[in-house]
Amino acid sequence: MTMFSRTDKTPDPVPAAKPVAAPTPINSSPPPPAPVPVETRRSPAPPAAAAGTHTASVSMISKALKITGQLESTEDIHLEGEVDGDIRGVSVKVGHNAKIKGNVYGEEVELAGTVTGKIEARKVVLTSTAHMSGDVIHQDIRIDSGAFIDGHCRPEYGKADGRAHVVQKPAAATREGLSSVKPNEARSIA
Amino acid sequence: MTVKGILDTDGELHIHGRVQGSVRADYLLLAAEGDVEGDIVARDARICGRVTGRVFALNVTLDSTAEVKGRIFHHTVEVARGARVDARMPWRPLNFFETLEQLPETQP
Repeated sequence: MTMFSRTDKTPDPVPAAKPVAAPTPINSSPPPPAPVPVETRRSPAPPAAAAGTHTASVSMISKALKITGQLESTEDIHLEGEVDGDIRGVSVKVGHNAKIKGNVYGEEVELAGTVTGKIEARKVVLTSTAHMSGDVIHQDIRIDSGAFIDGHCRPEYGKADGRAHVVQKPAAATREGLSSVKPNEARSIA
Repeated sequence: MTVKGILDTDGELHIHGRVQGSVRADYLLLAAEGDVEGDIVARDARICGRVTGRVFALNVTLDSTAEVKGRIFHHTVEVARGARVDARMPWRPLNFFETLEQLPETQP
């Protein structure tokens, strides 16, 4: 099954994803066989009918998943996998095993993994295992001892603030917040 | 969450958001609120959401909430009553999926 699995092993559980967001029942589906590394998953899985009405949820990108391209969420993102491209979210957590090549935009970014690119967020936390190659644009930053940074840390109030709105604050964000996403989007596609 | 680009995993993938681009997984669950524009490659695919593009999977299950436009290359398929299928569903032998390294060029 070359096309299904790069490794030749049988389709058995792959690298067990960290049991972050507690496993949740998936709507309208029978329990899939050996549910191990679940990737993009909403934490509070609502019944199928209630799609879209769920509140804050986290999208999980697990260890086994690789994404090439852009990632955009109006909610939280938790990354453990590999991303080649830009990421936009509200609260973005870059886990220990995660590797990102690209820019990360968010309201809050917590880095424990590796980022090659830029981080632009209102609040940035670089934990002791963080490996950051590139600039950090922030309003509020915490750097734990042990974190690796190769780049500038710049406080940029206007800019980071602007981003924060783009990424949609639950309170303030309305149409404007959304529409201001569009130009960025278009730019980065082109 | 919206992903533009390629999603690639050897494990299980649940999509509850929007994907513009291609998806490759061993087991794919596309939830009712999920939406994929592009190609899907999987061993087993359970589709409850919307797909515009091609599906290449050994075993395909279309749930009653599924909405598919394009082509479904399959070895076995199950379609629930209520599914909206606006697609060609070509059957392919097992070796088609085994030898398929690169997706064939077809009109969606």
